[in-house]
Amino acid sequence: MKTTTKAGVVLALSLGVLVACMGIGSVNIPIPDMLTIIKAKITAATIPTNVTPSYVSILWDIRMPRAITAFMVGALLSVSGVIMQSLLQNPLASSYTLGVSSGAALGVALVVVLNITIPVVGFFLLPLAGFIFGLGTVLLVIGVARRLDTSLKNQTIILMGMVFSLFVNAVLTMVSAMFSQHIQRLTLWQMGSFSGRRWTHAGLLAVVALTGFVLVMRYHRELDLMSFGEEQSMAVGVDTKQTKKRLLLLASFLTGVAVCFTGIIGFVDLTIPHVTRRIFGSKHRLVLPMSAVLGGGFLAFADLLSRTVLSPREIPVGAVTALVGAPFFLYLYFMGRKGDASCG
Amino acid sequence: MWIIECKNLHAAYDRRDLGIEEKEAVKGVSFTIESGQNICILGSNGSGKTTLLRAITGMVPYSGEVLLDGQPLQKLRREKIAQKVAVMTQLSQVYFSYSVEETVMMGRYIYQEGLLGRPTKEDCEVVAESLEAVGLKDLAKRQLNTLSGGELQRAFLARTLAQQTPVLILDEPTNHLDLKVQAELSEYLKEWSKTPGHTLIGVFHDIPLALALADELILMKQGRILAKDRKETILQSKFLTDTYDFDVLQYIKSMANPTGDF
Repeated sequence: MKTTTKAGVVLALSLGVLVACMGIGSVNIPIPDMLTIIKAKITAATIPTNVTPSYVSILWDIRMPRAITAFMVGALLSVSGVIMQSLLQNPLASSYTLGVSSGAALGVALVVVLNITIPVVGFFLLPLAGFIFGLGTVLLVIGVARRLDTSLKNQTIILMGMVFSLFVNAVLTMVSAMFSQHIQRLTLWQMGSFSGRRWTHAGLLAVVALTGFVLVMRYHRELDLMSFGEEQSMAVGVDTKQTKKRLLLLASFLTGVAVCFTGIIGFVDLTIPHVTRRIFGSKHRLVLPMSAVLGGGFLAFADLLSRTVLSPREIPVGAVTALVGAPFFLYLYFMGRKGDASCG
Repeated sequence: MWIIECKNLHAAYDRRDLGIEEKEAVKGVSFTIESGQNICILGSNGSGKTTLLRAITGMVPYSGEVLLDGQPLQKLRREKIAQKVAVMTQLSQVYFSYSVEETVMMGRYIYQEGLLGRPTKEDCEVVAESLEAVGLKDLAKRQLNTLSGGELQRAFLARTLAQQTPVLILDEPTNHLDLKVQAELSEYLKEWSKTPGHTLIGVFHDIPLALALADELILMKQGRILAKDRKETILQSKFLTDTYDFDVLQYIKSMANPTGDF
């Protein structure tokens, strides 16, 4: 199948998922009504009387921002996963390996249990704390790794990331135990959820996703080269240290923003880059945009499952991605090992 | 004219990430390489050959001075270094598979600009020539993970050639290659080095191949240069024997004539 055809199919599937996310739920909204509402909202026209009034707020105020938030978070996590895996030449690498999510979780937990409020920041305080702590953890990981190994070798960073993740998780567990009245909220946040997401979230995420994507695309050739290792990329003229640092920060930023809006959602950034490479090959010029689309579609679909499978109850979306992603990743990883080229 | 000058060069191979003590592999060497020469570096395992290559291309931290085409290496951007020197290092694992053509095109990195960095007609022509040179033209569309070790080695060599630099640095380029391909490659490298201004620097374990290619030999032992001279001079000296701690030339002769009949 031609690349353009494959890209078309992936785009159509993701769009289909988005439409399903907007239409399906406790109340099913027909597609013509959806189109009418969206058109009227965009053009600031009056909603026709033949459309059930409750559909308007369900679609425009609840499902659309939620679906778009899920899509953007999926896209951000997947792009960040692509970067981490290529930079570290490690199919198991992700932002989680570098401690971003653990750090973010700790930041949010501290804000919740210490009841910190900053009026100017308002409802962005939790996301902000998550992002700052996530980024702080990864900077610490890189800093300590550099002190131990000046050339910033991949194994050093991964090991440091794991050590810090374990340490931060232990602190988080202690915090949860000390402030048991918040344990339910913290546990839910650690499993991820799109419940109650509004246009503010969706809009901000869209801006971050688009800006981040353009910045990452500038490095698509460097990512191709760095997936062969630092020495190989250095040999053809890549400023490896600088590029690696910038891309790690960029990936942490994308993950930090995604995680702080929704909580910790695993397996998207591990699984989606693999699937994308299987379909489109390894060139990052294609892998980056297509993993964004595929990851967005996947997470939107996971969110659809999370709120419909046990309706009216809602399953944390992180649990859905783990249930679908973990076995799928296991399958991909062990099947993929047969095809890996290795020599020397 | 000297293309590479090294003064009191010290370099270590940093393995602290693996819990191995940092080891000084190159211990204060000084030498010059003239433009247009073929230099082969010989020495037993652990003598510092590969670290020396990495140091003179700025791939490992070093102390002392390295001048590339008269300019201090430490002040040159990687892009500038890659315009003068193409390096083929020993292969490690390939985790993400690209086609052979895509891989060779990566050698054109320094020539491509813009957000999408689309290859130009010239890039495509150079890639085709490089593939032809290493005999991989027919495998251009194949994925790296379907190649044999030798084919993979040649794909990376083609990527090095596609950089179109005046200096080619090769670290054991004939590893994994069968005899026929070795012979073809050696012929190609000889032809390549005939172009005025082309300088070939290589680390070889295959001494006959090194002798066939080299104008000058650098012999290394325990991080130091034991000798650097024209190959004819080296062959008439005891330096080869000292380098490997056994009579290398006698061994090569006995291998070429195993029955001792003629």
